[in-house]
Amino acid sequence: MSRAPAAAMHEAETADYNDAELMAVLMSREVRDGEISACGALSHIPAAGLLLAKERHAPDAELIILNTVFRPFHTSRQFHFLAQRGDLGLFFVSGVQIDGHGNYNLHQLGPDPDHPQVRFPGGYGGGMIYYCARRTIVFRTEHTRRSLVERVDYISAAGSSPPETLRLGGPSKVITPKATFRFDNEAACLRLESIHPPHSFDDIRENTGFDLGAGEPVAGTVPPSADELGTLREVVRRKMIDTGTYAGWAERTLGTFAGRSAS
Amino acid sequence: MGVPYVPVIGLVGTDLLKRRDDMVLAPDPFGEGKVTVVAKAMRPDVAVFHVDKADRHGNVSCGYHVEAVMLAEASRHVVVTAEEVVDRLTEDDAVGAFIPSILVDTVVHAPFGAHPGGLTGRYEPDRDAMRRYVAASRDDASFAAYLDEQVFGTRNHEDYIERFVPHVARQPEGVT
Repeated sequence: MSRAPAAAMHEAETADYNDAELMAVLMSREVRDGEISACGALSHIPAAGLLLAKERHAPDAELIILNTVFRPFHTSRQFHFLAQRGDLGLFFVSGVQIDGHGNYNLHQLGPDPDHPQVRFPGGYGGGMIYYCARRTIVFRTEHTRRSLVERVDYISAAGSSPPETLRLGGPSKVITPKATFRFDNEAACLRLESIHPPHSFDDIRENTGFDLGAGEPVAGTVPPSADELGTLREVVRRKMIDTGTYAGWAERTLGTFAGRSAS
Repeated sequence: MGVPYVPVIGLVGTDLLKRRDDMVLAPDPFGEGKVTVVAKAMRPDVAVFHVDKADRHGNVSCGYHVEAVMLAEASRHVVVTAEEVVDRLTEDDAVGAFIPSILVDTVVHAPFGAHPGGLTGRYEPDRDAMRRYVAASRDDASFAAYLDEQVFGTRNHEDYIERFVPHVARQPEGVT
């Protein structure tokens, strides 16, 4: 039995989104109204997610998007002190490698730490923010065995610490284009929380370097709604372009999915 | 700051901490029961950094690079390279952070002193030069060749600007 053309068109519109749009929407859902939420430099997707949350469910969220107009101050020192006070509710960070223990690596690759095969600029304040922000979402735009590993080659920030250590917060979730992981504080490891359609559990297991546990049924991620995508593509995109907040990226990425149905 | 050490939140469990012998774990001396990293104060003999504007006496306006203020406060001697040198600069004239001349030993006039990096409000990073630097840093031989050309092979700062700073970056502001 065939569906009415109007319904089919609606479904096609809401299902067609790119990885960046999907991740921005999933990140926006983590933002809580009234909290201070932040992302660092070179964080295009979290920036879009933060602005989307502010447009939809978190109008009273304080946003700090470093190195853009969305910041209450200019200096990193003020940002660090805010975090150390425990005032930072949510932070977004990416890692070259992320492991099943919630550690991430922004420093170097290779088995021998004294002779790295590749070196990166490092973590800057990440080794502190990861311990101070109440919740950190770690994200990676590539979900493969080289990015999601059993053990990172170099721990730039640790997922867990001994109980006697002063620590105000830690990892909350890991978001990739294929799945969302939740950090289990008790066991100090990542658990598969939901799989983004149309990916399968086998697909996730095939592309994840750490153990996914006993294979309990895992929920499917609630896909971006038409309203979330519409706000992201119209309001947030325009705001990013107008304020010079990763303007070129927003212009190229948001609402430009090649398979998007013509409206 | 002039204190011998400061507590630092974080770093516990990182490989970063394993490589530092100037950072150790210590309990809260007030008995609250929590442990933090304690970092030994750094006391550099000489600090050298580039700023937007300085005067002939060593007063410095360094924008929002507050790290430069801490660097100056921590170091025994301070050499400032400045994009622009003026006759007189007070704290009221400074944009962002101000470093008083009492902390500064020497001011050097060095236009494009941040190249190939950028300087906020003056010029953008030179991405092509950055790419060449990254490519050259892949191994010791190519990096030595890079240093020979870009550093040891230049007669002086003016020669460096002439050879390596793109002409478009040298246009006065507003001219394209």
